[in-house]
Amino acid sequence: MHQIKVVVTGSYSAGKSQFIRTISDIEPVNTDYAVTLAEERALKQETTVALDFGTIAINNKLNLYLFGTPGQERFDFMWEHLADGCLGYIVLVDSCRPAQLSETQRLMDRFAEITDAPFVVAANKQDDPSALPPAYVRRRLGLPLDVPLLACTGFERDSVKRVLLALLKQVIATTTPP
Amino acid sequence: MALEGTLHDMPLPDLIQIFRMGPKTGILLLNAPRERGVIYVAAGRLVEAAVLPYEGRAIVAAHDEAVLHMLLWEEANFVFRHDLAAASRPARIIRDAEWLVLESVRRRDDSTHLLRYQRLTLDTRLQLSPLPQSADHSVSLDVRQWRILSQVASCPDLRAIVQATELPAQQVIQTVAELVAIGMIEVIERSRSRPAHRERPATSLSVAALGGGADVAAGRTLLDAIMRRVRSL
Repeated sequence: MHQIKVVVTGSYSAGKSQFIRTISDIEPVNTDYAVTLAEERALKQETTVALDFGTIAINNKLNLYLFGTPGQERFDFMWEHLADGCLGYIVLVDSCRPAQLSETQRLMDRFAEITDAPFVVAANKQDDPSALPPAYVRRRLGLPLDVPLLACTGFERDSVKRVLLALLKQVIATTTPP
Repeated sequence: MALEGTLHDMPLPDLIQIFRMGPKTGILLLNAPRERGVIYVAAGRLVEAAVLPYEGRAIVAAHDEAVLHMLLWEEANFVFRHDLAAASRPARIIRDAEWLVLESVRRRDDSTHLLRYQRLTLDTRLQLSPLPQSADHSVSLDVRQWRILSQVASCPDLRAIVQATELPAQQVIQTVAELVAIGMIEVIERSRSRPAHRERPATSLSVAALGGGADVAAGRTLLDAIMRRVRSL
């Protein structure tokens, strides 16, 4: 049985757990605990401290595993373990929290040190009419045009599928010889 | 749900730009240490604004002057909420947003505050903004701004613009900050280079992830299977 890993990462409260829940075949395994810091509790009551885990059965020989990282930088020691051997990774950004843009830049720099796997960026929470436009998110992240950035609504399956397919296309683009 | 942050995360000129990009309709509330402000936005245009003190009901500034007042704030939290009711408010702001941003620079005589998250140096690379400008008004630039804007497409960086225009470097930096703030040009961020700390070649990773030593063709077959499955979900 082949097992393939895709990592879903992003800043605190970017919507990683929901993203995995939306697409996973199984009820995701998560390691959520009550939020202790007051400023983080203002955003949500529970947070992922180790990982989220979901699966998509491809066929009887192949499983795609989705691993969600904890968002807070103080748990970044987990990122290296989760990213090891991954097919690629998805960086989620909360499009309603501009403060996350600089955090996401740091996270992307850290991931670039950890792994050379291909990645895509998803500007999440685009169902909110006040959300930052994806073009602005791309500009603020300093994202090169060859890295796909997609508008995303993490609780809509079609939207999550589009992001996952974009990552797979990016993987094909980097593995296929020119 | 709302767009929330501080002016440190996202300066007011950026907010004005994304209102136009949307275009967005709603109410922007700002809380500075001594005052609070409100701007009503209809289809990307600023239509009404006011600044009030925390104590008392006397209006500190209204309409265009209120926007200019808020553009000078260093510290403030903001919340922008989508609200279609803002579209029905009468337009009391006369000037367009670009004029207000540039006027705030003139009043302050320092444009560096406009770009808090970006540092302009002579090595900064620039490009004309691909963002669509609002079609219902034109931007009034002065000669110096036009002179620099005309060099952006042909000069690889700010240093080259200084050489081409023979203007003082600090003046060019100030003017570029103004043009970035009103969305005419944008900074090309450094590309995200990947440190070569790992021995394996970049293209082998995905193949390895797909089966520990499988060849490229086998890896591609597996990827195709994954894509078919994801599409079917």
